[in-house]
Amino acid sequence: MKKNISIMIGGVQGEGVVSTGMNLMKTFSSLGYYTYGNRNFSSRIKGGNTTFTIHIDIEKIAAVSDSVDILLAMDLDTIDKYMHLLNQDGMIIYDSDLKPDIPIVKALKILPLPITTLCKGLGAPTMKSTAAIAYIGRLLSMPMDILSSSIRRRYGKKGDDIVAKNLEILAAVYENQDFSWQMLQLQLLSPQTAITRGVMMGNDAIALGALSAGCRFIASYPITPASEIMEYLGKHLPNYGGMMLQVEDEIAAVTAIIGAAYSGVRSMTATSGPGISLMLEGIGLAGMAEIPIVIVDAQRSGPSTGLPTKHEQSDLFTLYYGGHGEYPAIILSPSTIEDCFYETQRAFNLADIYQCPVILLSDLTLSLSPQTIDNLDLNKVSLDRGKLVTEMPQENTPEAFNRYQLTSDGISPRAIPGVKGGIHHVTGLEHNEMGRPKDDPINRRSMMDKRMKKTLSLDEVKEIEIFSNSNSTLFLTFGSCFGVLKAAAEASGNAVDYGKINRIKPLPRKELEAYFNSYEKIVIVENNYNGQLSKIIKSELDCHNKLRSFVKYDGNPFTIEEIIKEMGGAY
Amino acid sequence: MATMKDYNNDVTPNWCPGCGHFSVLRALQVAAAKLNIPKESLVVTTGIGCSGRLSGYMSAYGFHGIHGRSLPVAQGIKLANKDLTVIAAGGDGDGFAIGLSHTLHAIRRNIDVTYIVLNNQVYGLTKGHTSPLSQKSFQTKSSPYGSVEAPIKPGILALANGAGFIAQGYSAYQEQLIDIIVKAIQHKGFSLVNVFSPCVTYNKINTYQWFREKLVDLDKQDGYNTNDYQCAMNTLVETDCLCTGIIYEEKGASYIDLVQEKSALPLTKLDLRLTSQEFSRLFEDFK
Repeated sequence: MKKNISIMIGGVQGEGVVSTGMNLMKTFSSLGYYTYGNRNFSSRIKGGNTTFTIHIDIEKIAAVSDSVDILLAMDLDTIDKYMHLLNQDGMIIYDSDLKPDIPIVKALKILPLPITTLCKGLGAPTMKSTAAIAYIGRLLSMPMDILSSSIRRRYGKKGDDIVAKNLEILAAVYENQDFSWQMLQLQLLSPQTAITRGVMMGNDAIALGALSAGCRFIASYPITPASEIMEYLGKHLPNYGGMMLQVEDEIAAVTAIIGAAYSGVRSMTATSGPGISLMLEGIGLAGMAEIPIVIVDAQRSGPSTGLPTKHEQSDLFTLYYGGHGEYPAIILSPSTIEDCFYETQRAFNLADIYQCPVILLSDLTLSLSPQTIDNLDLNKVSLDRGKLVTEMPQENTPEAFNRYQLTSDGISPRAIPGVKGGIHHVTGLEHNEMGRPKDDPINRRSMMDKRMKKTLSLDEVKEIEIFSNSNSTLFLTFGSCFGVLKAAAEASGNAVDYGKINRIKPLPRKELEAYFNSYEKIVIVENNYNGQLSKIIKSELDCHNKLRSFVKYDGNPFTIEEIIKEMGGAY
Repeated sequence: MATMKDYNNDVTPNWCPGCGHFSVLRALQVAAAKLNIPKESLVVTTGIGCSGRLSGYMSAYGFHGIHGRSLPVAQGIKLANKDLTVIAAGGDGDGFAIGLSHTLHAIRRNIDVTYIVLNNQVYGLTKGHTSPLSQKSFQTKSSPYGSVEAPIKPGILALANGAGFIAQGYSAYQEQLIDIIVKAIQHKGFSLVNVFSPCVTYNKINTYQWFREKLVDLDKQDGYNTNDYQCAMNTLVETDCLCTGIIYEEKGASYIDLVQEKSALPLTKLDLRLTSQEFSRLFEDFK
């Protein structure tokens, strides 16, 4: 009996590889298993090889294994490119129409399946995905009724005919007696609890988090790997009175949400590196004019168009230092799907409280990797709109509202258009308390100090989560790397402590300082060339003798093996 | 009834004496008074340049943003709170160089915002550089041998892209300008008001005198029909766009009317919380 199983599905892009994988994940998640999926795709609509790797486990995991138990090939490329990933006793199954030339490897099980033939025979050549799922279900000893209820759920909206045809394919696969199934079947351990869980990717959780946080406006320009956020909100916001606006470019995106946020609506945009580059001037305006906006950066490989469908975490410098001039901004760095949900809600609170841009830093792997999740708690993060003024006790004199009033914490009351007595001017120019342009040095200094001190109190908030607590070395990371790091640490018998940093700006200095005192060595794990987070930490803390940087920048996430090696362990 | 003074704050504009922009500011204030717009419900967004300072001279909610982006800011404001009257204003560089794309998309998107272009065909605040609306052979510090690029024609561009309200005003024709702005604000949907607003310091070609001699006043054209698309196009071509008055208007549904019910609340008034039942239903989609 196996605790987990890893399946790679490969085929021609645009021909159902992803839907096959997603259906399998949802089916297993409905039985109580945890799943994690990883997509490998290229920048084209149809054609070219694409793969979807699924890890099915009785325990929660946020990484795929480095090797696979089953390789399901819907095209020849998959066999050529990925056969080497198979475990020694792995199984390669493929559409028998492919007629591949597979080298004989001892112990490797090779199983041609009449996927195309069967579907064509039933007059449903486009339903190969269902046949593939059915064969995998049978190999994993899944009862047929589990799959048939899954098919009903999946295709119910498409009509009875479609459901019936898919069920026919399923039955045909289960009735196929051409193979000695008993020999080949893999037995998975039963799940710990037989409950139905959901499958989400980071972008889903961010979008749902935004909706739950009261975000009612998103302006966005489509880009990989962030588009799902605008798509989800575009579909659901109208049901809650809100709006999604697809704009002409990312400059319009950031400035439109600045307008909406200035007017009092929780507003966001979602983009990737190229969009961030275009947005920087607008982000600076939000910093200067103290407007609460939330920007999701689902990072991908840069610079320029880079590897648009590949993973990287290389926007830190741009976001941490970027935009001309100096202004306060907050960067949150969720590491798990749950983080994506809760940290998005926190992002909206922080934006409102500190009246500054808040960046939610995701990455391609976190944004696009689906996984089984436990229930999310709608009420865990409460709503805090900070010093928002929606009505005045009595009408002030028209020009008297000090939008940029100098206060002890630097944060001023914020009236929105429509509020009587709240009239004020907002400008990207340096301004006085009333928001009117002013360029004298005394005012400049007090206004700079006011803005820059707003986020100082965040240094008291705990932002680093450490797991295991018994070793002298800490591996610290952010974003999707955390899932791999966790899997590696556990596989190595917890030879090192590992952790994640939830907020990168302002850097949790006090907390980091304490960890640099308590650990002999801290290794920062990140997907970029420069070791951007480790350099940021080095520039702010005296930790050169204890900090090590471990980076990867080839477009792929770390493998578990790579991290275990860095931990000093054998694989 | 409100008066023009209600929309005037105590800030002295930093424009040069004789600048056409004074007249545009005044016309906007008078128009707001005529429409009796509560000043807390009036928002003026501007871009960067001499014209950008206009939002700071209004007693209203003013938003002076970044260069070329007054329109996306204005559209965000209007979508957030449809009860507000939103005016965007900017110069010819703002609307037709750095922000041209926003101008075109604002036209086709048709959100109910009035866009006033303070067009002086030169970059004044940078101390005299050529603009995409400068005429050919125009000499500036950045076109020392005379501009060789063809000027953009805002009216034709807007008309070709389906604008529902296009008007042109002239700083020296104050009454007509007031009337245009009143009607532009009343128009349900995007309205473009291109104002010839002479720069007395850096544009020695397109002067008050020059405009006075060239401009054709459509209000004085017998039988000019503002609903006639072909006539509007012909007029722009025949006058080389040097005409004032409402050039074209067409009633149609604005963006918000198309995506929301009339009774829908402004986004600013929405309940931000989801109920547990709603959340469960949304979460169920992922199973």
